[in-house]
Amino acid sequence: MLSIPSIRETSMAEEARFEPKIIAFCCNWCSYAGADLAGGMRLKYAANLRPIRVMCSGRISPHFIIKAFQEGADGVLVTGCHIGDCHYMQGNYITAKRVAILKELLNFIGISPERLRLEWIAASEGDKFKRVADEFTEKIRALGPSTINTISFNQ
Amino acid sequence: MDPLREKVKTLLQEKTISAFLGMKQDYDHAIPFLFTSPEGVESLIIGDARYPMAKIFPKIAHKYPDHHLGIMVRGCDEKALIELYRNHQLERSQVIPLGVACSGELAQKCNCPTPYPSQCIVGEAQERPFDRSALDTIESLSLEERFTYWTNQFGKCIKCYGCRNICPVCFCEVCTLEDKPLIPLGEIPPQVPSFHLSRAFHMAGRCIDCGLCEEGCPVDIPLRTLYRKVREVVKDLFDFLPGEEKEEEPPLHTLGDGTFKLK
Amino acid sequence: MRYTTVPTICSYCGCGCELLFEVLDGELVGTIPSKANPINHGSLCIKGWTAHEFVVSEKRLEKPLIRKNGELKEASWEEALSLISLRLKEIKHSSGAESLACLSSAKCTNEENYLMQKLMRAALGTNTIDHCARL
Repeated sequence: MLSIPSIRETSMAEEARFEPKIIAFCCNWCSYAGADLAGGMRLKYAANLRPIRVMCSGRISPHFIIKAFQEGADGVLVTGCHIGDCHYMQGNYITAKRVAILKELLNFIGISPERLRLEWIAASEGDKFKRVADEFTEKIRALGPSTINTISFNQ
Repeated sequence: MDPLREKVKTLLQEKTISAFLGMKQDYDHAIPFLFTSPEGVESLIIGDARYPMAKIFPKIAHKYPDHHLGIMVRGCDEKALIELYRNHQLERSQVIPLGVACSGELAQKCNCPTPYPSQCIVGEAQERPFDRSALDTIESLSLEERFTYWTNQFGKCIKCYGCRNICPVCFCEVCTLEDKPLIPLGEIPPQVPSFHLSRAFHMAGRCIDCGLCEEGCPVDIPLRTLYRKVREVVKDLFDFLPGEEKEEEPPLHTLGDGTFKLK
Repeated sequence: MRYTTVPTICSYCGCGCELLFEVLDGELVGTIPSKANPINHGSLCIKGWTAHEFVVSEKRLEKPLIRKNGELKEASWEEALSLISLRLKEIKHSSGAESLACLSSAKCTNEENYLMQKLMRAALGTNTIDHCARL
């Protein structure tokens, strides 16, 4: 019994203004503080990001990212301290390795690797947070909605 | 086969090893068996089929940590053992491997480029060209075509856990694929593509390309192609290939030194 | 130190996949699919992979149990079979044969299943027969 996926047609209305859903993992000490500063500076940026605070970007298991995509995230942004500035010394070293492997894997199975982005944002870089948020949102808007949640199998 | 039987008999007689894990001819069946007496070695065979020797071995070795044990290894079994040593699942000093090179037919069926271990008691070491055509075909497809292809393939999955159960380098006592928040219970096919994507990520730095997973898949999902891609990615990014006899830590075992940069 | 693998057929469904039970020092520790059988070609479903678990499970029934005063108590086969026969006859008499149903098992042999359906159809007079593999 072969299951055949059917891709649900997106309505014209939805396509007219597609609002991406982006999960942004932020490390407590640098990037979350940076996001906080962006707020303190009253910088306006795309409201499409849902931040999830973790203590260190090294805490971000690849399964979090996979789960985010599975649950319908159109894009995932992983942010952390700059290399050498990690609050826990080497936590962010492994983040880069994990994201690199995952990007290649996603590309191989047909999910655009540009939907996953790694960015180092310091606590003082509120403007960088705004810039990255806006850029990434536009990038995902151009890529379109994630196709994962349109998968259905004829039972 | 006789050189193998002679060697095993000698090792058992001299008590260099307490037992030898190999294949036994039992009426019309070829089964994995632990030979403990020199007399019993008469029924030792190599067999035409590949059984997961490196998966069975740690069960016996862990129960008898003070004994030296022999094991019949093909090329893939030897690579699996190297990875088990690297992950501290097996003590190298406890193991005495006896190498067997695979026949041309078996190597062909397995699409194996190196169907021989480092030292062969039986058989000749013959390299074969590596057939990358499956990977090439998939890489030539567009992103959307790849997505459709893999969604179809993963959609066949019946969640038998055969790929994980038979994998010689899968030794975790608590498996991520049984983690309810990640993979909800009661869904067939299991979360597409999370289930297979998670497993593929776990194979980074571990998969030795033995192909037992694809052989054990009841619905013929091209798992080996997927894990071969993971191996290539890890090799390109970190210059690490599991199964090689090198004193190296796999890239995801340590946090690292910060020199790795994302492109 | 004894380890061997025992070729056997999975008892769960009608497919009849061949598996090798791993026996270490007389204890059943695992299952490996057999590659020699043309039915399963070295694959198993989740039930086959875990077939070794039920054999040695503590939850297996070893004696007939009868519920007395809300609690399950050990009983003899005599007592259990007499109770079953008595109650089936009572229910057939009071509510009719159609109120009886039977749930058999794909783990039983064909012969046992034949006897079961004969008992239900001919002896008790009901058509409501099913077995666990259909669920």
